[in-house]
Amino acid sequence: MKSARSLRLSFVVALAATFLLYLFAGRYPGPGFTNPASLFSDETARRIFFSIRLPRALGAILLGAVLGGSGAAFQTIFGNPLVDAGFLGVSQGAAFGAAGALVAASLPVVKALLPAFAINAFVSLVSFVMALAALGASLALARRFKFGGQVLRLILAGLAVSAFFSSLLAAVKYVADPLSQLPDIVFWTMGSLTAMGWQRFWTIAPISLFSLGFLFLMRWRATLLSLDDEVSRSMGLRPEIERAAIAVIAATGVAVVTAACGIVSWIGLVVPQVARIYAGADGRNSIPLSMAGGAIFALAADGIARTLFPGELPLGIVTALLGAIAFAALLASRSTEMAR
Amino acid sequence: MRELEARRVSFSRQGRGLIIADISFKLLAGKKMAILGANGAGKTTLLSLLGGRLAPSAGAVLLDRESVGNIAPRALAKKVAFLPQIERLPFNYRVLEFVLMGRAPHIQPLSLPGAADEAKARSALAELGLAALEGLRAGEISGGEFQLVRMARCLAQEAELLLLDEPTSLLDPANARRVARELASLASKGKTIVFATHDIALARSLADLILILGNHGVLRLGPPAEVLRPEYLGQAFGVEFDLGQIPTAYANLA
Repeated sequence: MKSARSLRLSFVVALAATFLLYLFAGRYPGPGFTNPASLFSDETARRIFFSIRLPRALGAILLGAVLGGSGAAFQTIFGNPLVDAGFLGVSQGAAFGAAGALVAASLPVVKALLPAFAINAFVSLVSFVMALAALGASLALARRFKFGGQVLRLILAGLAVSAFFSSLLAAVKYVADPLSQLPDIVFWTMGSLTAMGWQRFWTIAPISLFSLGFLFLMRWRATLLSLDDEVSRSMGLRPEIERAAIAVIAATGVAVVTAACGIVSWIGLVVPQVARIYAGADGRNSIPLSMAGGAIFALAADGIARTLFPGELPLGIVTALLGAIAFAALLASRSTEMAR
Repeated sequence: MRELEARRVSFSRQGRGLIIADISFKLLAGKKMAILGANGAGKTTLLSLLGGRLAPSAGAVLLDRESVGNIAPRALAKKVAFLPQIERLPFNYRVLEFVLMGRAPHIQPLSLPGAADEAKARSALAELGLAALEGLRAGEISGGEFQLVRMARCLAQEAELLLLDEPTSLLDPANARRVARELASLASKGKTIVFATHDIALARSLADLILILGNHGVLRLGPPAEVLRPEYLGQAFGVEFDLGQIPTAYANLA
């Protein structure tokens, strides 16, 4: 299919262009674009470019690709355009873990054991563990439900687990110190790439890339799983096992980027819808394009979040605001029939 | 495939009692069998048992003397295709993409369908006279066409045994006849077909063998002329039939 190839090419070009714009946009020496020549002459410009903007740009690409790709995979394997990886409790579990860790970090016992420079890593680690715990709880609970098909059981279990962890998060917020801890918690739940340096990038890269690679390879298999289970089974699939494998690996990718960057909403839910409008619902196109589209969107949103004002905006605010406007405009302007 | 055999197959489900009771038959390759019976008589369950998606509580379903329960899913899918009565379409796939999914048993889990698979999907569409639909979205074609597209997906699967659950139930008479004609042509090319139906005309025109389910067991098993009689149909459906009410075969299917 030639049109699919040109579509892929245009996404790659758009990603490369956004990446370059992102790298050169900023507020040094003044607001605007860095002169490429200054990379050779200005030591500070070079440091900002290679030690701050480059890892952050690559982190944004990973974040967006994981959220977009896993959202597309989830929607495909559940045959439901309104789910994303967060619905199995991953986001709420991660949020509770991060908030709990932020509060715990100020307890004397933890302070004694934990050097100050390790607090960020501690928060990410606890957040990642709690995200996986929430995922495990959803899967275990779904197995114990005695009614409905696999999809319904997973969605209901995810609802229950999400509600459970958001109540725990509310409890942590309630006991958190309103001056020193609560702002950190709130900032975390709005998502940010501020702390994305080379170290953090290399921490999340292996699991993220593994998750992306697996979803990329399974993109046609995921499409088959969108059919009714009795149909996919009659084609030789084992729908329960294969769906669970894809869901776990997609959610693990989301858990690792969420632990590092906080909750960045909207990308996982909406980017796949846009990808399906352009590329159709077949996962062979829609899953890779959702990865690329998520990366473009995350780069653009973070570029705005860090350059528009002297102080940074939380990324989640920009993704939701930009996403909502762009999405509404797209649906209103395009006459294309939506592939759901 | 040489033969399909049900050997004293029973199936019961907790709380529902016996759904299939002691059913036996043999079907040779290339033959067509219709399953008739009232709603709830167990037609769909029997198809599920034949396709290995349910395991019998007693007895065995044998494909060339091998129990279907012992055949690995992918190997089984290369031999047996199943078409449920209705099917949810989760996304608005293009017709070719949808038919291509039938190639699944021939493709490794981490691979994609290749040009050869696409060619097979296209020829399956062409075989059913649907080549012109290939680029359309499934939501843009009629219900009758979608039913035929689903059959094309079964053909792309290249199984020798087709299990079809009420293939004409949602179709108008013209499309029902078209499906009947295509099934007859498939059977003439060597496919073995087992279908559950309420369409007595379809059963009469297509089937070599008709199994009437009654009271969860075999009420009658034999060629159409022997079993499509008022007394047996009356017993199966619980209403009076006289000869004039039994539909005749579709004309000119061949």
